[in-house]
Amino acid sequence: MKKLRLATLLALSLLSGLAQADRLDDIKKNGVLRVAAFDSNPPFGFIDPQTRQIAGLDVDYAKELADRLGVKLELVPTNPANRIPLLTANKVDVVLANFTITEERAKQVNFSIPYFASGQQFIARKGTLSSPEQLGSLRIGVDKGTTNEIVLREKYPSAKLVAYDDTPFAFTALRNGNVQAITQDGPKLVGLLANVPDRDKYEIPPFSISDDLIGAGLPKGEQRLTEFVNDSLRELEASGRAQAIYDTWFGPDSRTPLTRIFRIGDR
Amino acid sequence: MDFSVVANNFSYFMLGAWPNGPLGGAALTLVLSVVSAIASGVLGLVFGVALAMTRGAAHSVLLMGLGFFRAIPVIMLIFWTYFLLPILFGIDVPGTGTVVVALSLIGGSYLAHSVHAGIASLPPGQWQAAAALGLSRGQALRLVILPQALPIMVPSFINQWVALIKDTSLAYVIGVGELSFVATQVSNREMVYPTEIFLFVALVYYVFCSTLELCANRVAKRFGTAAG
Repeated sequence: MKKLRLATLLALSLLSGLAQADRLDDIKKNGVLRVAAFDSNPPFGFIDPQTRQIAGLDVDYAKELADRLGVKLELVPTNPANRIPLLTANKVDVVLANFTITEERAKQVNFSIPYFASGQQFIARKGTLSSPEQLGSLRIGVDKGTTNEIVLREKYPSAKLVAYDDTPFAFTALRNGNVQAITQDGPKLVGLLANVPDRDKYEIPPFSISDDLIGAGLPKGEQRLTEFVNDSLRELEASGRAQAIYDTWFGPDSRTPLTRIFRIGDR
Repeated sequence: MDFSVVANNFSYFMLGAWPNGPLGGAALTLVLSVVSAIASGVLGLVFGVALAMTRGAAHSVLLMGLGFFRAIPVIMLIFWTYFLLPILFGIDVPGTGTVVVALSLIGGSYLAHSVHAGIASLPPGQWQAAAALGLSRGQALRLVILPQALPIMVPSFINQWVALIKDTSLAYVIGVGELSFVATQVSNREMVYPTEIFLFVALVYYVFCSTLELCANRVAKRFGTAAG
């Protein structure tokens, strides 16, 4: 009996593996697109105080994808460290959470073409940090499971890194003096600083130590789903919708004006 | 200190996105706690009685099983149930279900030992007297032993359930929107009010836990023992 049950379990897991062989069909069949998005990182993904739902730049892209498929959108909140496990455990179909494309990650997940670009920057109290050479002698807060952590360890091995669950936690540590600087992608730091009442005490020094491309994360080997996302992204750029989404969050009238340096299809 | 951030987000803290989304916040903490408390109580009773009634190999296997769940951290069990079961067996357990199962299994394992200890604390004469009256072991347990042993166990049950209420906060690791998770979301958006927000969160947990203690003590008094 035990053996039979085990065999059934194994067979089921194999079958479910086969059934998932084409996720795009599954999504259409189930009528739901499950997308992992940040819930704590304005303006990419955060809880909107009015609607109490997750909103942000990444969420706008998620909505476009679901609309194109004609299915319902289900948003799953994630922190940086859970992004890959959520995909490999089949808990979500797409990760749209400021996900930097790297070779290491591409071994475990598929990436779409990039839809955003940024560089790794820092926030520090005014006057503490002016050039990258100083980084090696500082205590720096990073987000667990991000490329920022890896880049910093490689380029400035003498810097003392303290890893936090997400950027706001790291920023709280900076405010309390536990660390002297924190690091993240530039646009995310701009978004964070815009929400801080005493923002004039802090600055984002005008240098970056990496050049990152942000893409959608997809389950490994799901070629048709990846193609669908790529085509959708190109169409969104062609129709001007991508620009409109950008302007909502980073346009001249937004809380975080930032010149658009990257268009979908550039790289 | 500016507690207006708590007032402004009060309904999100209490209910999450409900009714326009899934139930969350303090209400979800309460649901997770009540369901896990009942399940862990039932498991604890069943396994505790089993510990008291078994000998030899069955007893050792049971001890090993309970030992396993007592030895792993709740957060690990939650994390691995949520992320590993789908990869290994293709079984998809939803987040809230994962938390309830993990808390029930671990809480149940702790309680099993309390139940066993409660039963063992009665003098063996009780069993012998019951046997002399012609009661079977099952009848002796149900009619003579448990009615005396259960009130002794009440403090252990309350201890375990209070710990369990607080452990529901570990659900954050898989993104289940209970009280501490939604509080973190708001704190991360508002940025500068962590003190106010988490003081409020502590107060809510305090109210939950002390209410449980108060109610349990009342119930215990009725049955002749005061707990705590």
